[in-house]
Amino acid sequence: MKYRLLKIFIVTVFIVSALSKEIFPQEIKEVVRDIITNTFNKDVQYDYEKYIIPDSLKMKVEYIAQQKFFGESVYILKIFNEEILNGVALLDNVYGKEMPITFLVIFDDSGKIILADIVKYREPYGGAVQNKNWTAQFKKKDSNSGYKVGTDIDGITGATISVKSITKGIYKISLLYKEIKDSLWNSSYTDLINR
Amino acid sequence: MIRLRLLLFLMIVVASIPSFVFAQDFDFFEPTTTVAGYGELHYNTYSTDGDPWKKQLDFHRFVVFLGHSWSERWSLRAEVELEHNFVKEGQGELELEQAFVNYHHASYLGFQAGVILVSAGLINEYHEPPRFFGVERPEYNKLIIPTTWFGNGAAVYGLVEGFEYRVSVMEGLNADEFSAKSGIRGGREKGFKVDAENLLYNGRVDFVGLPGLRIGASYIYNIAKGDSITNEINLVEFHAQYQAHNIYAVLEAGNIFYGSGEIETSRGYYFDLGYNIGSLFRIDSKIVPFIRYSDTNTAAKTKTGGDSEKKYHYTQWMVGINFLPIDQVVFKVDYGEKQAELETIPSKMFNLGVGYMF
Repeated sequence: MKYRLLKIFIVTVFIVSALSKEIFPQEIKEVVRDIITNTFNKDVQYDYEKYIIPDSLKMKVEYIAQQKFFGESVYILKIFNEEILNGVALLDNVYGKEMPITFLVIFDDSGKIILADIVKYREPYGGAVQNKNWTAQFKKKDSNSGYKVGTDIDGITGATISVKSITKGIYKISLLYKEIKDSLWNSSYTDLINR
Repeated sequence: MIRLRLLLFLMIVVASIPSFVFAQDFDFFEPTTTVAGYGELHYNTYSTDGDPWKKQLDFHRFVVFLGHSWSERWSLRAEVELEHNFVKEGQGELELEQAFVNYHHASYLGFQAGVILVSAGLINEYHEPPRFFGVERPEYNKLIIPTTWFGNGAAVYGLVEGFEYRVSVMEGLNADEFSAKSGIRGGREKGFKVDAENLLYNGRVDFVGLPGLRIGASYIYNIAKGDSITNEINLVEFHAQYQAHNIYAVLEAGNIFYGSGEIETSRGYYFDLGYNIGSLFRIDSKIVPFIRYSDTNTAAKTKTGGDSEKKYHYTQWMVGINFLPIDQVVFKVDYGEKQAELETIPSKMFNLGVGYMF
């Protein structure tokens, strides 16, 4: 009898352990793929490029945005459709109250935001920042636009920290994009398929 | 016994596989310990029945939040609160207001167990000083939703298509401590060796799909137990909040229905309306004058009837200003008058406060 209970306990621990792991492989890549194909179309091609931000540029952008980068790098995705560059997306993180919030910002060739979206939210409170109605406020903004919560961007009650953090994060990414935009748009489709 | 060892071995091997097989390309997460908190100093002056004004300085709340994330999905959240600066002979309080293990499976589903907050009204779960008008929390949030209402229990939560939901089961109320003056407030057990026979059930749904808007309702059911009595409690409340385009609007309304005892119903509501005039001057700081009207009656319907239903009926209006030089720091000033239905002279109050959150 006591071994039976022990077996039940072990099986339970196993189930919880398995659930707690990432049982959905490459979850972030799948969400990013959905965002991009929904924004453009299913035939677009893109790849991930890890971009190490030069120290001087990093400091400059952080100073203006008043927010540190999550790490030393961001991911850049050049999105091609029939060998024509349609947009460039940057994937980065900011901290919420405790956890990283992964977000994607897609830009056009003029530096304006085509779409901003939350890829992964990990906090128990404040999940409403994932609503498309909220992230839609960033469309058509660029590095010269206003990003002040309450004036330029409506907040979300109960998500104060996440709202501010993501808003600063998107502003910061738009500043970074402005600095590297020209080199990105000069790349060709051949660069992508040859990588 | 050998089979058991074999099972154990296999389980350990299999359990360790997913982390290798399903390793993510973007492993952004790192285990993190977080410290946060809030606090508020109050200068309260008040006059009742036309008596001379009394003055009081009170560091009302000092709260430290400690969180730790073991993984993207497993975390701990705890909050310790010191009220009124020290604890001595029944004065002041040291409380463990939150302490729960959280499992965040995905946006649509999470689970938490430990000391958790009751999910009712706008302020019980979001009560840092910069988030509400007035130096003191609204009367409604003392008498109808007895903020801060916390206890031992477990909850599931999530966000689906713009709707936040939360369902919890937790410790019940102590029916012996209910009163006509303060409703169910005295019945909170605060997690201290609580009788777990009659649990409290709480459900809440909020629509948060439009920027700046939160609108929803919650329901609480508990057969509150005392030493020799039980009292079936049904609490229903509605809340709405809009904060966008420099407008700040709040409405909360709730009723408590009692199954036995002298009181049959407690009820109340209040609304706030404010506007950030800082936006007119294009300054970063927020300057938000506001008005409040509040109506509460903890013994709105009684078995005795008559004046007993008027004795604890108060209406209150208030005007004030919240000044936020930065969003995490607030300076507050307010003036209000509170009229009891059976009294002729209103109580008057003038308050100053400073609060912070980080």
